[in-house]
Amino acid sequence: MLSRYVFRHETILALLLVLALALSANLSDRFFTVDNLLNQGRMLTEVGIIAIAMTFVIITGGIDLSVGSVLGLSAITLGVVWKTLGVPLPLAMVVAVLVGALCGAVNGLIIVKSRMPPMIATLGTLALYRGLAEGISQARSVRGYPDWFYVLGQGEVLGVPTQLWIFGALAIVAAVILGYQTFGRVTYAIGANETAARFSGLAVDRSKILIYTASGAMAALAAVTFVSRVSTTRSDMGMGIEMDAISAVVLGGTSIFGGRGTMIGTLLGILLIQTMKNGLTLAGVKGDGTIIVIGSILILTILISNIANRVRD
Amino acid sequence: MTCLLELSNISKSFAHVRVLERVDFDVRAGEVHALMGENGAGKSTLIKIVAGVIAPSGGEMRIDGEAVRFSSPKEANARGIATVYQEMLLFPDLTVAENIFLGHAPRGPFGAIDWSAMRSKARALLDSLDSHDLDVDTVVGTLSVANRQRVEIAKALSQDARIVIMDEPTAALAETDAKRLLDIVRRLRDRGVGIIYVSHRMAEIFAIADRITVLRDGMMIGTRNRGDVDQPTLVSMMVGRDIAQLYPKVDVEPGEVLLEARDVCCGDRVSHANLHVRAGEIVGVAGLIGAGRTELALTLFGITPATSGEIRIDGKPVTIASPREARDLGIAYIPEDRGRQGLVKAETIAQNIVHPILDRISRWFFVNLRTERSLAAQSIKQLSIRTWGGEQIAGQLSGGNQQKVVVAKWLGTKPRILIMDEPTRGIDVGAKAEIYALMGKLAQEGIGILMISSELPEILGMSDRIMVMNEGKLVAEIPRAVATLESVGAAMTNVDRHQETER
Repeated sequence: MLSRYVFRHETILALLLVLALALSANLSDRFFTVDNLLNQGRMLTEVGIIAIAMTFVIITGGIDLSVGSVLGLSAITLGVVWKTLGVPLPLAMVVAVLVGALCGAVNGLIIVKSRMPPMIATLGTLALYRGLAEGISQARSVRGYPDWFYVLGQGEVLGVPTQLWIFGALAIVAAVILGYQTFGRVTYAIGANETAARFSGLAVDRSKILIYTASGAMAALAAVTFVSRVSTTRSDMGMGIEMDAISAVVLGGTSIFGGRGTMIGTLLGILLIQTMKNGLTLAGVKGDGTIIVIGSILILTILISNIANRVRD
Repeated sequence: MTCLLELSNISKSFAHVRVLERVDFDVRAGEVHALMGENGAGKSTLIKIVAGVIAPSGGEMRIDGEAVRFSSPKEANARGIATVYQEMLLFPDLTVAENIFLGHAPRGPFGAIDWSAMRSKARALLDSLDSHDLDVDTVVGTLSVANRQRVEIAKALSQDARIVIMDEPTAALAETDAKRLLDIVRRLRDRGVGIIYVSHRMAEIFAIADRITVLRDGMMIGTRNRGDVDQPTLVSMMVGRDIAQLYPKVDVEPGEVLLEARDVCCGDRVSHANLHVRAGEIVGVAGLIGAGRTELALTLFGITPATSGEIRIDGKPVTIASPREARDLGIAYIPEDRGRQGLVKAETIAQNIVHPILDRISRWFFVNLRTERSLAAQSIKQLSIRTWGGEQIAGQLSGGNQQKVVVAKWLGTKPRILIMDEPTRGIDVGAKAEIYALMGKLAQEGIGILMISSELPEILGMSDRIMVMNEGKLVAEIPRAVATLESVGAAMTNVDRHQETER
């Protein structure tokens, strides 16, 4: 029975994380400072928020490649609606999130109604939404947000970056839904055997549309914190962030074929990637070197986990 | 007569499970040797050994008296053994001629394929099978099932096969095509080819086989000449006991009409179905594969909702547009394909059992884990599912126990109408008997059961009434008292096959 826990993917990840933390602390004495750690928390929030929803998407056996573009489109929406249309900023934030949710709902509807593979559908909307973002922005950035808005991305609450609180709350809610609620059960069942889920009377189509909608809304939420963090809005925001989110989810042990994965795993995956990025940078490794290490760790971890799985069975 | 192929003492186990035990089997030149047995009796394993797909764990195989060991189908092929598979293994985008000669096309100078030789050889082969109507340049994907099968047979012959294995070749064929296929089999036999013929259709076996070997639970029960055996004897050889013992039919006084279908259609797959099921009644639905039985069930269960007609529950008209609605009306469906439709194999028994009732066992969307555990424990006990507990992964169970999990999962919805589609397919005789006993018990409790089955003994043994389906229509209704293999079989195929049996 003990081996069931020892060989769990999450256990392996946690050990790797401790190892990465120890190594990073060893390489640079600036790593283990409160300032640095909190700042790293700030950095990982956008990928983290997207990865939460991506975990659900990938557990159903799907994928959402369009989240980076949704982030860009929502960011531009926020800027343009506020600055050009003169809508109050709080309302503009709501509109931005709604636009993200709409983008996600469109993804979900295409996937469910036309039975198009999620990879193809969201590859299409990846281009489509980015194109819209660029068309709306006309290569102009929006700046000069009011000071209160920067609290979200640059401020602190009780000494912790504001967006980390939001990320933490979202992660806990998502973990509860996935682990303890009916919606989580349906998510796993869809990924493990969609036909059987349908034959069991589960609301397969509705759940999938809901998950892709949530994925879009979360990308939009990430857009709002992103804009607040960097004080500006540009149409190329979030380019490639889908790959960071997918890497974190897969590193976290979620099966790309669906049916398997946990929120804890995703969180560990995010932390591990961010720790390595930061630790290597502080140790003076250049950016390209960092990417090589992260890629190798991703492949090695999955390899070790697969071998451990075989040992366990 | 000389034996082309001789198997002696062949055994095979998969992970401690014996699927074949010391089986002797032989094929002579110019004979049709039928292989019969229930699902799971070991027929497929035996023919896979002959075809070189799997290696036996013990025993000896000889061709022309010479011991052989195949490590791949290719080696079996080289020794003149060809298989016509149930699922067609042709390339749909290639032409008839290309498929026939795939991998051994006639070559011209410089190793180039000699297309005209290939086409004329293919033509000659098809002519020799009396298939003059089949064009060698047609793309295989556009052909009917029957024609594809002829291509497969031609392909087997093109490799100079001396032994041809046919695994339920007529299962997917309409009557006239099936007859034509039997003619082709006779032609092959007359040329001196030895044929191993697997089929469930009794009439066909008696029409074509020279000898019949029966397997049961991996053991060889016996080999008989066709003239020395009759149908009831064969059936009891296959099931190993009297039918009355295997099918513990409980007589229940039928109650109110629970489910009624009036002129129900679903596209062109179900047309004007009229039927009713009473409380405590078991209604059997017989028919050939493709007759529309499963489609009827899927319509009643809301997977493919009815396009016209009326469904009534307790006399009240209802619409059933989804499985959830069907469940809420008290209908449960145990699907024919356990692995694909019935179970999420990667999840635990407990998780599977609560799938259809997740909404009922949760509060504020939280799944009540205690209820889940106790439901699983209850089901395991009630259906005697052999497992170490509800936390075991469903896919690790044997076929019979997996089927019990599917049954348990749907009984958990407290259904009043239970539709069972091939309830005992691919499970062992012991588990079968348990499923039958359970059906009797459920009927006693007043549940109405609609049972779809391709196994006629099961239909005859368990049903109070038998509905026969043919090409999307319910064509006959036969009460238990007057139902026989012949009467049901004739309605299924719409012609009197009795004459052929007498040949």
